[in-house]
Amino acid sequence: MTFALTMSSSDLLLLLPEILLTSWLCLILIVDFSFPRLPNEQLAYFSIAGLVATLGCLVWFDIAGITGTLFANMFALDRMALFFKMFIVGSTILVILASVDFIHRFKFFRGEYYALIVMSALGMMFMASANDLLSVFVALEFSTIGFYILVAYLREDTASNEAGIKFFILGIFAAALLAYGISLVYGETGKLVFSDMKAAQATPGLAIGFLLIFAALGFKIGAVPFHSWVPDTYHGSPTPVTAFLSIAPKGAAFAILLRMFLVALTTFKPVWVLLIVAVSILSMTYGNIVAIAQKNMKRLLAYSGIAQIGNVLIGLAAGTKMGSDAMLFYLLTYLFANLGAFAIVIAVSEAIGSEEIEDYSGLGRRSPFLAFSMLIFLLSLAGVPPLAGFIGKLYIFVAATKEGLYALITIGLINIIISLYYYLIVVKKMYVSEPHDRSPLKVSGPIKVVVYVCLAGTLAIGIYPQPVTDWVVSAILAFSNVADPTAALPVPPAAIPFGG
Amino acid sequence: MADYALLYILFAPFVGAIALIFVSNRQLMLVRGIAAGSALVSLLASLYLFYAYDHVKGGFQFVQQFAWCRQLGISLHLGVDGIGTPLVLASSILLFAGIFVSWHIKDRTKEFYIWLLILAAATIGVFMSLDLFFLFFFYEMSVIPMYLLLGMWGSHTKTYNEMTDPEGLKLRDSVGFILNFGSNSKEYAAMKLVLFLSAFAVAALMGILLIYKYAGLNTFDILVLREQAKLMNIPVLGTTLDKIIWLLVFFGFASIAPLWPLHSWSPVGHAAAPAATSMLHAGVLMKLGHFSIIRVAFEILPETTRELMPIAAVLCMFSIVYGGFVAFYAKDTKYVIGYSSSSHMGYVFLGMAALDYISLTGAVMYMFAHAMATGMLFAMAGWVYDQTHSRDIPSLGGLSNRMPFISGCFVVACMASIGVPGTVNFIAEVMIIVGSWNKYPFQVIVAVVGIVLTLAYLFKMMRGLFYGPMDQKYSHAHDAVAVADRLPLLIMIAVSVGFFFFPMHLYNVVRSGVDPLIVKITRVVPVAQTDEGSGVRSEASAPPRTSDIPLVAKSPSPLTPHPSQGLE
Repeated sequence: MTFALTMSSSDLLLLLPEILLTSWLCLILIVDFSFPRLPNEQLAYFSIAGLVATLGCLVWFDIAGITGTLFANMFALDRMALFFKMFIVGSTILVILASVDFIHRFKFFRGEYYALIVMSALGMMFMASANDLLSVFVALEFSTIGFYILVAYLREDTASNEAGIKFFILGIFAAALLAYGISLVYGETGKLVFSDMKAAQATPGLAIGFLLIFAALGFKIGAVPFHSWVPDTYHGSPTPVTAFLSIAPKGAAFAILLRMFLVALTTFKPVWVLLIVAVSILSMTYGNIVAIAQKNMKRLLAYSGIAQIGNVLIGLAAGTKMGSDAMLFYLLTYLFANLGAFAIVIAVSEAIGSEEIEDYSGLGRRSPFLAFSMLIFLLSLAGVPPLAGFIGKLYIFVAATKEGLYALITIGLINIIISLYYYLIVVKKMYVSEPHDRSPLKVSGPIKVVVYVCLAGTLAIGIYPQPVTDWVVSAILAFSNVADPTAALPVPPAAIPFGG
Repeated sequence: MADYALLYILFAPFVGAIALIFVSNRQLMLVRGIAAGSALVSLLASLYLFYAYDHVKGGFQFVQQFAWCRQLGISLHLGVDGIGTPLVLASSILLFAGIFVSWHIKDRTKEFYIWLLILAAATIGVFMSLDLFFLFFFYEMSVIPMYLLLGMWGSHTKTYNEMTDPEGLKLRDSVGFILNFGSNSKEYAAMKLVLFLSAFAVAALMGILLIYKYAGLNTFDILVLREQAKLMNIPVLGTTLDKIIWLLVFFGFASIAPLWPLHSWSPVGHAAAPAATSMLHAGVLMKLGHFSIIRVAFEILPETTRELMPIAAVLCMFSIVYGGFVAFYAKDTKYVIGYSSSSHMGYVFLGMAALDYISLTGAVMYMFAHAMATGMLFAMAGWVYDQTHSRDIPSLGGLSNRMPFISGCFVVACMASIGVPGTVNFIAEVMIIVGSWNKYPFQVIVAVVGIVLTLAYLFKMMRGLFYGPMDQKYSHAHDAVAVADRLPLLIMIAVSVGFFFFPMHLYNVVRSGVDPLIVKITRVVPVAQTDEGSGVRSEASAPPRTSDIPLVAKSPSPLTPHPSQGLE
């Protein structure tokens, strides 16, 4: 399907999910203000209804193959964008469900909480479609503004305020870097749309410009060395916001990274591969080693998240179609395992008011359901068969092997063992240590739903990944300009460079 | 129906485990019943498999293939050859016996059986995988349940119980904990076991990924790779690629075997584990190592195997002697059996290293025989521990008065472990020794010394446990009287003794798996066996023992290129 550059009613169709969600966002605010006595759960389910409608719309687009570009290529709706939009909307639904119980901790502005989450989701949906540097900037800032507020939502809690300040200052700094990078790239090439930059000459200005843009996106995904906000912000934020922050923005930022590296910068692949390899190795190793020392569950998941991002970057370093498929696959497995783990952190902290790993002692006796689910999620994060994380890791490693990134794979494999250690420490606390207090824990309905959905996803993808692989492969297929598929063919075995 | 035998064996325990999730721990008999029932289905199907396996035809039989992930070239490809069949049988026998050995577990019975069933099913999965991916998948899957089984139902050693105080417990969470080799806690054992095995498994995975890449066939299928992968003579890092892959695969899988320098997780793990877990672990999990080396290194890299297998011949001596001596001086029953197991696994490596028909057949039969013998020993060590809450040999003694049945069985188990005539271990040991003599006479002498050592430490332990004066505090200990308690021991004794008197089917089955492998590796056609006359087979009369899978049938048989290149 092609569309004219001028707006017409059929062009508006491409924006239907966003339009739908924007109007729903307004509706949420109107309902919240018009019915101040409305119970909070009602508003949560009302927001979810809108998100489900959006998700349905996205699924319809995906099945019907409705794709195209808008506004002179600023906004691209290809199947990869649809994948990431479903990813974002799906995680938003789960996060709102997980917030239903948590919300009573907020003293004020409970209704706005949902509105802000939906607003951030909307910004990230635009990020998934952003096909030029200006729309990247606008969409990225749009989604981040929502987060600045959400992170500091526990107003009486100093940790939450600290998290908000740190996130805000570093976020603004990253935004400045992004804007500066965009101006440099525009100055060098005179182009803004990614696909127009393919013919760009390698100049120092361009290199610095893209490095700055990468730094801003690296901040968004929390890769080392742009990670310093991650632990404190994750720790201090309200837990549902942490869960949201750990998943959705990363998906959206990876959509931009894929477009930037595989479309705009394909010709410079030998150069940027080294950059990605370095960042990936640093993220995996730093995240995993520091996670060992953590005493707090949210901090542990924060550092493990840094390491997981390093794993996803292996797929980007491969820089092939298969590598991109593997990244999408991995992000999906990460979504289920990580959101599930955070849902359990919420459930436990609701029941016993603590997020310390020490207080997970004997969880296996107090709540077999929560402990077993946590076990599954942690093992999936560690990459143990037959869970989704294992297939995700293997997919990424196979893609990287085909590109001969042996040093990177070796470090990735060693990191699996390191991560297994700290995940098993939590498992030990839950199952081996005896509880201080033997009273059983109560789990609320919405959290149970989240946990069941995540369990189903983790197990189903692990046991039979074919439908999901088909989906990610077709999502990347329609996304043009990926490095030629012949790269996957065997290389004639001459001398093998046995290194990164 | 019969074609699906492998699926019944593999999935019955999984189905049992899933069914157990929905049962309450209060219905104890139902929990036990479901566990035993699913293990029984698996056992009956594998008995059928063992006797229905056509050793004249040989090759991979009962093959099942389901597409699993097209993009990565993975299919759930199951099938057994003469090497896998007896090991599948051994696993399901030990699982069935293990369910009864852990009959008296009171704490979280349901969860125990769930993890035990998953552990056994994953082990069985490795023995029937014809796809490198699934081989690794099940291998790694069998490691993780060990953590929970050891951690939740395991026991600390005597030293640990005496050492720690409530304050000292905190140290167990520190990073230093993992490096503290003096620690004797079950948590330490569990963590060490999982991390050690996973670390080496990851090395093997690297080897598998290299095979996948350089074969360039976009498949993990072993049957395709062994015919079509060209991995030889690719220069890498001053050596060749096939050697690097072989070393990664060999040491990756040898850690679970456990070969000498990589054995340290094993006795600690066995000692901490509950009885049924030790049985399965020493009985079949350790064989995953040998089996995976045979399946991956022998099948896909036969030439390299011929070149590098002497490494195993050297290391196996250390395994045998070191394990034997430590077992002799160990004071803890489970340490004795654990070190004895790692010592005995040295024999299997010797049989494999000699690359001879007789010795490799002996090695595979020894894996089967050792599974029964060590299963019995661990089951009885577990019984003694349950009754006396002690594994400390010097403090025990005279228990034969209290438990005549157990001490009688213990004598049989010791005989089996030593390899006294009357047990199938004897046949296997003799075959290993006879088969390896031509190539490695020195190692054979060491192995015979190892047998003497086995005799010494097992008799020492037997005397220490069952004879001599008895401490009065153990007067409440009682014998295995109930059917459920006696059944597992009787089954394992029956198998061990039965196959001594009727070894031919086992021998033929194993031999049908060993022959094509050795032909491929050494290019020596076997001396004809029993029913097929005598003398050296000529190349014309040697029936190519390939599987009947269409995939392979299309490509040339592995035997065809070799005769033209010269027989010895």
